[in-house]
Amino acid sequence: MPTIRLENLVKRYGNVQVLHGISLEMEENEFTVLVGPSGCGKSTTLRMLAGLETVTEGEIYFDDKPVSMLEPKDRDIAMVFQDYALYPHMNVAANMSFALRLEKRPKAEIDKKVRDVAAMLGLSDFLARKPGELSGGQRQRVAMGRALTRDAATFLFDEPLSNLDAKLRGQMRAELALMRQQVQKNMIYVTHDQIEAMTLADKIVVMHGGHIQQQGTPEELFKHPVNKFVAGFLGMPPMNFMDATLTEKDGTLWAEGKGFSIALPEDRANAARNTARATVTLGLRPSDLIFAPDASSDQSLDLNVIVSEYVGAQSVLICGCGDAKVTVELKSETPIALGETLRFAFEPDNIHLFDTKTEMAL
Amino acid sequence: MSDKAYEKQNPAFYALLVALIFMSVGPIVLMFANSFKLDVDITSGTGGLLFMPTIQNYETALCDVLWYEPEHLDFCGLKFGGAFINSLVIALVSTVLTLVIGCMAAYALVRFRFMGRDAASLTTLMVRMVPPAVLLVPVFGLWNNEFCLDKDGLVGGMIRDSFGGRGDVCLAGTHSGIILIYVAMNLPFVIWILQSFIMQVPRSLEEAARVDGAGPFQVFFKIVLPLIKPGLAAAAIFTFRIAWNEYLLASALSDRDTKTVPILIVNNMSEFNVEWGVIMATGMLLAVPPIIFTLFASRQIITGMTAGAVKG
Repeated sequence: MPTIRLENLVKRYGNVQVLHGISLEMEENEFTVLVGPSGCGKSTTLRMLAGLETVTEGEIYFDDKPVSMLEPKDRDIAMVFQDYALYPHMNVAANMSFALRLEKRPKAEIDKKVRDVAAMLGLSDFLARKPGELSGGQRQRVAMGRALTRDAATFLFDEPLSNLDAKLRGQMRAELALMRQQVQKNMIYVTHDQIEAMTLADKIVVMHGGHIQQQGTPEELFKHPVNKFVAGFLGMPPMNFMDATLTEKDGTLWAEGKGFSIALPEDRANAARNTARATVTLGLRPSDLIFAPDASSDQSLDLNVIVSEYVGAQSVLICGCGDAKVTVELKSETPIALGETLRFAFEPDNIHLFDTKTEMAL
Repeated sequence: MSDKAYEKQNPAFYALLVALIFMSVGPIVLMFANSFKLDVDITSGTGGLLFMPTIQNYETALCDVLWYEPEHLDFCGLKFGGAFINSLVIALVSTVLTLVIGCMAAYALVRFRFMGRDAASLTTLMVRMVPPAVLLVPVFGLWNNEFCLDKDGLVGGMIRDSFGGRGDVCLAGTHSGIILIYVAMNLPFVIWILQSFIMQVPRSLEEAARVDGAGPFQVFFKIVLPLIKPGLAAAAIFTFRIAWNEYLLASALSDRDTKTVPILIVNNMSEFNVEWGVIMATGMLLAVPPIIFTLFASRQIITGMTAGAVKG
């Protein structure tokens, strides 16, 4: 399996530049997820990797071999399309074996391969059906199977689950994770769904506006986002941001805003002092806020509950804190009433600080 | 829609339906009935359905392919068999050629970006607006005088040596000459029809095939072509019918050996006599192949060919 390296990849459509120099390295057998909002250039990057879009500038290397001028079929890739792109005039078996038949492999080998993959994906009973006679989930599986039947070195997934309903998506996500354990190949997966990214990836690459924002393991990105965009994009419900003014009092740096005053821990304080700015953006994840009526006021927020969204074991509270809206995740059995003002504490280490102007993490 | 809505149709609706059926089926019934009448019965003016049916007209029309000599004929003047084969060859070859060229041209016009694409796409349809009668004179001139091989030349000489005849070898009077003009006539419409069918083939299907290892031609023949089969069938029916029924150009461009059935029918009209019975009988025979062809081709028109390809 090759290591894949993107070097300063640029894509322009006429005068519109959609990718601004993407540089990225993917280790052997790594599951890389490109994630970002629509229009961030993630699909374009994938399609350039597949050879379906031309490379305007820069180069793609598979094992140090430049491939940007190669046809898709010469790149040893298999791809799963967002809309499945099954051949409607062929049955499932023919769909899955299309690539092998083009390679003129022996019939016995093709049959065996198709049967194996179909068994793995639970498609054995549907081999004679046409795509039109399958449900959405089954079509998705056939699309997956078509990619798996080939022994391609690299698998590309272009938002494969985005057309499924929520329940099926969860199920397929789990199956993908399982398949991942069985198939050791390079996999590059594009999605706008941060949950898919977090659950599947060895490495997440967050993209925004044609730039890579940050890359790393899911944990790294979740715990140490480099900027406000990454912080807000990963995690559900998203991180709360509040504008705060910095004031120095008795050797402690305080972040003060409407309705709160928080003592910053030493390392954050030092980072904030270095920027020499008077204001910062404070970031707190909803899951890091803990209902604690007795907490001290310098390590907590007093929040006025506006809306409570009951989602089962958890409730998501949308609260007011000064002018800002703050989301909190809370165990549903906690007795609260709308309109109440409650105190939520947090670990000082869970405070994220961002430069208000550049939006970079401090 | 329930059965009730079905039952409660307005009687006027049925009246309209009957009128429409009468209009479309009436002439055929008339032709069918008259083909079994003697000319005397047809022209007598009684016009009724009371007559003594006879197959004499069919015997006259088919005299050159019958295994026996019809009693009422002393001379077989109609070469229906030959004309039928001419019609078949010309209609089939021009249909196949039109489809082959048409689907490739349509694919190029839909999928490739090149200079003048939109102009080319529009012009194809404008060519369609030209009535065949306008083409007749220039084409007749060109086919007879310009598109010729010198009888003393290498190829022309060879053709003259093997097939005989006098003068230069020209397009006029050959099957190829008629086929060529039919292809040119039908191509714009076929391209136009197929364009809309090709547009409906999801692009991601072609991309998937490319990733699966198919070259441009494999993508076209293995993915696109099977999916536009309904379009091809519709275009084939259309082209075949035009080529089969066309009279004007064929009458000018064919000669004794290459004339088609429609031309043959008109040969039954002379300054002395119009043989209505034979004309009707030949007309009935003429109608059979397009019906068979249409039944066969329309089976290919299955709607929803691309169902299940992509999630809409």
